[in-house]
Amino acid sequence: MVNEDYFYLDHAATTPLRDAAFEAFKYAEIEAFANSSGGHSLSRKAKNLLEESREIIANYFGAAPSEVTFTSGGTEADNWIIKSSFHSKLSDKSELITTKIEHEAVLSSAEWVHENGNIVHFVSSDSNGVVNTHELLSKVNDNTKLVSVMFANNETGVVQPIKNIIEEVKKINQNILFHSDVVQAVATEKIDFHKYGIDSAAISGHKIGAPKGIGVMFLSSKFKLPSYFHGGKQELERRAGTVNVSGVAALAAAILELEKNITQEKMKIDFERNIFEEKLNSEIDIEIIGKNATRLSHISNIQFKDINSETLMIALDLKGLGVSRGSACASGAQKPSHVLKAMNISKDVINNHLRFSFGWTTKDGDGLRAANIVLSSLRELS
Amino acid sequence: MRVLVAMSGGVDSSVVAGLLKSQGHEVIGVTMKLWEGPNGEMPETGCCTAADSEDARKVAAKLDIPYYVLDYTASFSENVIDNFIDMYAKGLTPNPCVECNRSVKFDHFINQAKKLNCDKVATGHYAKIVSNGEKYELHKADYLDKDQSYVLHMLTSNALKKIMFPLGTISKPEVRQIAASLGLKTAFKKDSQDICFVGKKDYRQFVGTRINVNIKGNIVDKNENIYGQHNGIHEFTVGQRRGIPGGQGEPKYVTKIDVTNSKVYIGSKKDLTIKKFIIQDVSFVDKPEFSNLSIQTRYNSLAFPCNIREIDESTFEVELAEPTFGVAPGQFGVLYQGSKLVGGGRISSKVLEELNE
Repeated sequence: MVNEDYFYLDHAATTPLRDAAFEAFKYAEIEAFANSSGGHSLSRKAKNLLEESREIIANYFGAAPSEVTFTSGGTEADNWIIKSSFHSKLSDKSELITTKIEHEAVLSSAEWVHENGNIVHFVSSDSNGVVNTHELLSKVNDNTKLVSVMFANNETGVVQPIKNIIEEVKKINQNILFHSDVVQAVATEKIDFHKYGIDSAAISGHKIGAPKGIGVMFLSSKFKLPSYFHGGKQELERRAGTVNVSGVAALAAAILELEKNITQEKMKIDFERNIFEEKLNSEIDIEIIGKNATRLSHISNIQFKDINSETLMIALDLKGLGVSRGSACASGAQKPSHVLKAMNISKDVINNHLRFSFGWTTKDGDGLRAANIVLSSLRELS
Repeated sequence: MRVLVAMSGGVDSSVVAGLLKSQGHEVIGVTMKLWEGPNGEMPETGCCTAADSEDARKVAAKLDIPYYVLDYTASFSENVIDNFIDMYAKGLTPNPCVECNRSVKFDHFINQAKKLNCDKVATGHYAKIVSNGEKYELHKADYLDKDQSYVLHMLTSNALKKIMFPLGTISKPEVRQIAASLGLKTAFKKDSQDICFVGKKDYRQFVGTRINVNIKGNIVDKNENIYGQHNGIHEFTVGQRRGIPGGQGEPKYVTKIDVTNSKVYIGSKKDLTIKKFIIQDVSFVDKPEFSNLSIQTRYNSLAFPCNIREIDESTFEVELAEPTFGVAPGQFGVLYQGSKLVGGGRISSKVLEELNE
């Protein structure tokens, strides 16, 4: 199968590399390949490229360059913030609050904190996939060290009332570090961390057209956290390991592209996504998850009636349309989603969901084209 | 034809996918994930391991066919594992592979194939489907050493119409040769013999940790003389020698398990010999046949000549031509006419005693 012939609607899993990012990567690997920590002129070239890129990236998120540390991706950033916050405080009274709809990187890190003896609260969400603010605030106390709430959910696209939650949380205890996994949101939302009051954040490059293997751990200068990786003194002694300069350069290039195009990209994605949903809705009985909440433009999570989405996903793939379903386990089998479970979606239909996600390569007519493929597959399956 | 091929990651199903592809069929490979640990993890031994589905994926990539993993864990847990544990708790000898074929694999698989517009499903079982275009018969594989028709006895003519067993006329060494010539990495992979969800562990331990059957009791002979103690009836099956106190002269076997009183009865090989037994939940490939029958009472054993008498449409009394031993309640009695499989059902425990007293 030639990729060009394949209709890709799984941008929330990963999106194609932007041309500018590819060029920046190539340039860095050829012209600035040296180790950015070295003392010679080629190293300086790499170091200069690294720091210029850091400024571009920090600037986009309204952060200071010193608040940006490069990681291997969003998962590392989430692990770092959460585990390091409790590492020296294990089994003391420090408490962690997070939600049941977080990405596995946050959930599993929170479980690690719990297994090591700290109190961890997992807050529920309502049937629209919005975190229950009232419940969350009821858990905040003097011992709360960290609150972690994602900016928007990766499976449903539902945007969380972060700003309000942060304000209320800080009223109760202003020392709390407020972490937000913004990995999915940055694809179609421009976020200024300080304006929101976000103290730390996890960003992944490959969701916005940079390569896989590069990410950002943003940490406000008001906070300090111990290192997670130990070794060399890279990244202001915060993260050991030779810095992935080409990845960073590509990320900066992707962010410049995103900054330039985000309004048009978002408009197009939003338009195609809505046509897709309207077309399906007019022809068949579906439930659009989170339709009563604010959603990211690029994600459409659809609950179908009477059809297991395991089968539908295979049928769509055989027709050359790639979408996703919950999160995959080691074998590649697809498991019911913990996010949908947390939303109390009935057992009878929890396996009837598919996530369609649009992205920066989405073209005019993609929404209708996708809907028609789904409709013809459903006709064949019935 | 569009064919859905069940790929376990072993050499047999790899070759099936390869053969069908080379015959020009549109092949879709799937691995049925049947069993997982409590946190969704893949088992480390037995079949269905992460490494097995990885092998299947690699074979599919080599053959350039679409490949998917389907999750049947809920159905497997309910129909096979719960039943497996329940059977031991009742003093019966379960056959999880038959149970799986009966209530999980083929139903789901044929259904899935239908939905995906596939004309047929195919598996790597060694058995032969013979058809005159209308009726479909199931026969023993040409390569008798590997014949698996016993575990497929529940397939009806209607189901067989939708199934292909391409290995029915091929020997195992030939299968390995084909795999090697296709460049498949599974060509020389060892066959798995373990119960897939127990793996290398002892099944007694598996059952023991899952239900409270560890009630100690007595090991007695038919005159209720006590020979020793046991740690739970789930550790015994009829015909077993393991776990019985020795030094009694001739070898002793488990002859009966009294679940209510947690008693294990033992006796000599002669006490195990029976001539009549009942099979229940019987299904036939096509219609019941009553002449020239033989019955196989466990996987990989010989079939003995017999006659059957209908008690009701799904219950039959079997009378063996010659008394035999080793008929274990819970296992399946499978009827053949020569190489043709006629049908089969579960060997009943209760009536067994009454008929042979």
